[in-house]
Amino acid sequence: MNTIELRLQFEDLLYHEAWLLDHDRLEEWLTLSTDQIRYWAPIRTNLARGSEDWSRPSQLMHFDEDKTSLIMRVQRIRTGAAHADEPSARVRHLISNVRVLDVHERVAQVTSNFMVFKSRRGREESLFVGCREDRWRWTDGAWKLEERLIVLDHDVIENVTVFF
Amino acid sequence: MPKWEELVDLENRTVSPRVFTAPEVYRAEQEHLFARCWLYVGHESQIPRSGDFVTNYMGEEPVIVCRDGDGRVRVLVNSCRHRGMRVCRTDAGNTRTFQCPYHGWTYDVQGRLVGVPQYQEAYHGELKREEWGLLEVPQVDSYRGLLFANFDKEAESLDAYLGEMKWYLDVLLNRTAGGWKTLPGVHKWTLRGNWKLAAEQFGGDNYHVMAGHESMARLGLFPAGKTSGDEPWTRDFEVRTDKGHGWINLAIPDPPGTVEILGPYQTRVREEAKQRLQPAQHALIGTTHVGTIFPNCSIISFNGMTSLRLWHPRGPRNMEVWSWGLIECDAPPAVVEMARKMQILTFSPTGIFEQDDGEMWGESVEAMGGVYRRQFPLNYQMGAGYGRRDPEKPGLIHPPSTEISVFGFYERWRALMNNGTGVHA
Repeated sequence: MNTIELRLQFEDLLYHEAWLLDHDRLEEWLTLSTDQIRYWAPIRTNLARGSEDWSRPSQLMHFDEDKTSLIMRVQRIRTGAAHADEPSARVRHLISNVRVLDVHERVAQVTSNFMVFKSRRGREESLFVGCREDRWRWTDGAWKLEERLIVLDHDVIENVTVFF
Repeated sequence: MPKWEELVDLENRTVSPRVFTAPEVYRAEQEHLFARCWLYVGHESQIPRSGDFVTNYMGEEPVIVCRDGDGRVRVLVNSCRHRGMRVCRTDAGNTRTFQCPYHGWTYDVQGRLVGVPQYQEAYHGELKREEWGLLEVPQVDSYRGLLFANFDKEAESLDAYLGEMKWYLDVLLNRTAGGWKTLPGVHKWTLRGNWKLAAEQFGGDNYHVMAGHESMARLGLFPAGKTSGDEPWTRDFEVRTDKGHGWINLAIPDPPGTVEILGPYQTRVREEAKQRLQPAQHALIGTTHVGTIFPNCSIISFNGMTSLRLWHPRGPRNMEVWSWGLIECDAPPAVVEMARKMQILTFSPTGIFEQDDGEMWGESVEAMGGVYRRQFPLNYQMGAGYGRRDPEKPGLIHPPSTEISVFGFYERWRALMNNGTGVHA
């Protein structure tokens, strides 16, 4: 498969993932990741240029999830009693700038940008912008997400009731 | 000007919606509360070395919290004395000087004006530099590592201000000799809602948990016990302390999966705390603690995690929340990691508890601000008259749920807004 075909394949995959999230197909979305998934989003800061360090141990983050906590988050929404999500929002994931950085022995490093728009109940609007640095692993005939680092662009954020 | 005695009705125990929605009330709060109360500004562990600084807000005023060359903590107003520009625009760091980017006035970490470009040529050597240093917040003090500052140089000491709340804070903060430190990172997020709805909730609203966090109850994440808890008055209680502070204590068992990690650690803590705490304080170790230090600093601690947060006022209908994670210095890595993940999962901008609270606060101010609605008061009558004094614990106690503590917040609020007159026990 050449590089263009590979990029198209991942674009299709990421667009499909976005469609699942936009249409509340959260259980199916969970099947796109392995059981070893690390899904994390560090906090952005305003420091001297180049000083952001996401490797510092024990730092607070916006997400630092494994499969269990991701499942719990979805189950919470499914109770129908998660008030921040009832009535539910209209969510739209715009995915762009998809790049396949490397493919080696069934592991692909893929990055993409996102704008996630959320509208709820008239006045409540949020726009989240950032990029994802993914590691996808070819497992049982499909690409599965093994790690996603989400780099959000806001340092002061809002209530986050969406997945990126 | 608003009539404070009408906005908070002491006899009927009601509060007017205008307390949460009126712009003139909000403006008066900046003067009578945020300029006169002890406000949390940071933790000692964030600025361990000379030259370390973090930036924060006291109400709406940006401040720099730094440690000077003598090891003393200074809180400086982050506004150049020349033309008002924000002098320090980074969140944290280490420095010997702060240089204003506008005209180059330079201050040291004590706030002294040490550099003025063209001092001879333009100022003819006449500017009295010693009079033009960064404004220093007149009172700064520390309680168990928590740094507080007060714009009012006549205000009572921090120790007096914290009053009976110290006894409850000590249950957590004085357990071990090693004390506490902050995890790296600060959660910062905006929410719709008046800051007081958040502050009052953490200071005494256990009532909202079953309905507000219904999704978590349905997931079986907290046990459906009696609403007053299994140990009413002793380890399940809410307390109205003096000075407008409040505390909720709940003896909730740790969920399965956490006991293996927390159990041995808590046993060690209990052993060490025997020499440090009174028996009635010691009995509360390992329970869930929620509290508010008047006006806008709250704490929540359960399952190893502890979030300390500020509800920064941003207009009557908006707030900006800053939340830190506290961990004991002697906590083993497994406990630290569990606490970190629990805080991210539960009480953070993505927090599965936090999000539902944000929904309530945002919609409440939207719903009660209308011309008609705001003529009718909000009800704070729950439990009135049923509070008791306990010989072993300070303050007025009642089992969960009650509103004697949240109304205590507004009794204090009213006394301060009314220029310190009025009685508040």
